[in-house]
Amino acid sequence: MNFDFTEAEQAFADEVRRFLRANPPETFAVDGMDAGYGSGANSRAFMRALGAQGWLSMCWPKSLGGREQPMFMKLVLMEELALAGAPFGPLAGVWQTADAIIELGTGRLRREVLPAIARGETAFWQGYSEPDAGSDLLALKTEARRDGDDYVIRGHKIWSSHAGIATHGLVFARTSREARRSRGFSMFVVANSTPGMDIRPIRSMTGEVYHHEVFLDDVRVPADLMLGPPGEGFQALLNGLDADRFWGRFYKAPALARVLRQLVDYANTTRVGGAPLAHDPSVRRRLAAIAADIAALRLVFYRAGCLIRDGAPLTYETAMAKVYADETGQKLARLAMDLLGIWGPLREGSRWAKLGGHISHLYQTTLGHTIAGGTAEILRTSVAVRGLGLPAEPRAAVESKAR
Amino acid sequence: MDFRLSPAQQILTTTARAFLRQHCPPELVQRLALDERGFDEALWRRMAELGWPGLMIPSDLGGSDGTLLDVILLVEEMGRAGLPGPFVTSAVVATSLVLAAGSPAQHKRMLPTLAAGERIASLALVEESGSFEPASVGLACAVAGRLSGRKLFVKDAHVADDLVVAVRIGAALSLLVVPTDRPGIARLPLDAISGEKLFEVTFDRVEVRPDDLLGRVGDGAALLPPALRAGALARTAEMVGGAQRVLELVVEHAKTRVQGGRPIGGYQAIQHACADLVRDVDAARALLYAAAWKDAEGRAAEADAALAKAYAADACLAVARRGHQIFGAISYCEEHPLHLLHKRIQAASLDFGDAQLHLETVARAIGLEGRL
Repeated sequence: MNFDFTEAEQAFADEVRRFLRANPPETFAVDGMDAGYGSGANSRAFMRALGAQGWLSMCWPKSLGGREQPMFMKLVLMEELALAGAPFGPLAGVWQTADAIIELGTGRLRREVLPAIARGETAFWQGYSEPDAGSDLLALKTEARRDGDDYVIRGHKIWSSHAGIATHGLVFARTSREARRSRGFSMFVVANSTPGMDIRPIRSMTGEVYHHEVFLDDVRVPADLMLGPPGEGFQALLNGLDADRFWGRFYKAPALARVLRQLVDYANTTRVGGAPLAHDPSVRRRLAAIAADIAALRLVFYRAGCLIRDGAPLTYETAMAKVYADETGQKLARLAMDLLGIWGPLREGSRWAKLGGHISHLYQTTLGHTIAGGTAEILRTSVAVRGLGLPAEPRAAVESKAR
Repeated sequence: MDFRLSPAQQILTTTARAFLRQHCPPELVQRLALDERGFDEALWRRMAELGWPGLMIPSDLGGSDGTLLDVILLVEEMGRAGLPGPFVTSAVVATSLVLAAGSPAQHKRMLPTLAAGERIASLALVEESGSFEPASVGLACAVAGRLSGRKLFVKDAHVADDLVVAVRIGAALSLLVVPTDRPGIARLPLDAISGEKLFEVTFDRVEVRPDDLLGRVGDGAALLPPALRAGALARTAEMVGGAQRVLELVVEHAKTRVQGGRPIGGYQAIQHACADLVRDVDAARALLYAAAWKDAEGRAAEADAALAKAYAADACLAVARRGHQIFGAISYCEEHPLHLLHKRIQAASLDFGDAQLHLETVARAIGLEGRL
């Protein structure tokens, strides 16, 4: 057992901290809403800065322009960025896409997309959900029809995050009508500039735009922009969702630790009824209890990270970790709203807003986290069926058979 | 970062698990809980043959040079089996106090016999305040004088040969090692639902000799915190082991109990409850290991241990309560193993500081000003 970073990991953490001191996160222009996951807002400028450091491609093979750094360096980077509140919104999605292209991608995807990823010039939206296919992805209707050297995609995607400001979509579509429900799906990497795509914003309850719906009206995509073998897209999707649970939530614990620090400062400096809030026993206890949750959450993710690093089989770990991350985030947001009381609902920029008005934003955005990327219900079922071996209900049986 | 056990630690835990499965079955746990004495000497001797009571003791004094982390892994297995008895109070807490502060003579006299399981020691700390905080100790004693007063919640005092007693000499918090057969000491049982053997120990003008002192006068304030932390971590390990066992029993039940034509584990209501148990156990264990590792590395681990114990108290008790709900009526029976695991977790959650005490330590560690 060892709970320290290696010397190299620690040295890299120090390097990232120096970079953030020299390039304060708040000085980067922001292009898209902070969805509260812990990776901050979408900032093209910040992603390009990460690219310039060589950090986006640091774990890739040398033959593809990488430096073959161990996967743990990515965890170190994300933790430091989240602790500093940096705007690295697209990072996890970018890395996942890069990994999929390195593993499964055609020569063309490697040539055309990877260098742009390394420079920090790309961001990807997920074209998975459809109006009638949410938790039940196999019910999706979008079709990609083969036509010569191309596929022609027709369908309607929804809940695609930052699709309006991203560069490419990962579009999941049916490519054949096979008897087995989980076969016959394929994944495509589609540039936003491709003719036939209509990307429309959906205004969220926060008043900003995060999600989009995308209408694909005979969008023509060369066959070599398919990611992975034809008809095997569902497995690729499940792997992607599995990875998403881990990479898309890894930074939540450090991000929540950052919010907790702000709440501790607030409790120390705010007097209620003549005494500092920090002297209220129930405030002390609730803040301490959530500190324990955040510490546990961090370890749960690092444990899963170790299993991934060591190539050990994962069954329930990422699903469990995601639910825990999202519910801990909601718990902290609730606690923060309670502490702020009447000041809590004031928005960023409002007169009299406390803690920058960020808490009201956090409270709203965290509501979506137990829904996006696999609902807490789907994931609990997955923990029970795949992790504990409890008998699957009919729908869960399809997913576990596909594995 | 590495969460894996070393090969030696793996051997320790697999040996312990196999041994306890054979020698500490649920029926024995049940019998000992109901039995007034509740101590199985044969089992204790077998454990001693495996070297368990000497795990923390240096090899030149009859032990096996283990770390606190090794002890934690062993106690987790004990918690899993529901093993009752004085292991934590004697082999972890009292032993670490004697190790830390004993004179060469006290080391020679006590450690080899503690390591061999021939002597058992317990800690007498808590008084009528019910507090585990060293600052709350009030029992007054003058060196070479007489000790009168009482201690509460002294675990396994009936089988202990020695008591490490926290006292005030003047205003100075100090520790004494007093044999339990010294005239004037009486051990009065408390009756707790856990079946753990707890005692009020009264001292009626008990003679105290200069060489009863453990360390110097006033050393108690420095000696007690690390020993109490070791005790808190050991009790946390018991909770984690107990909760792990509850999870295993519940999952087995959910797979085999058929209602409405299918195993109840096929219903989402049960599946989702079980998923939460996995989170509770995994998260509690991760905090426990991280804190014990840090402590064993000799780093400041006060906040980590407090965090781990407060978290486990909440999480492992939730596992036990949910376990009852999933098992249904059968788990309400005395013959069913669940209630004993539950009550053991309950007892462990209070020993060496309850969640409230530990959360206050955490509150200070995260920077909250003021102290309640």
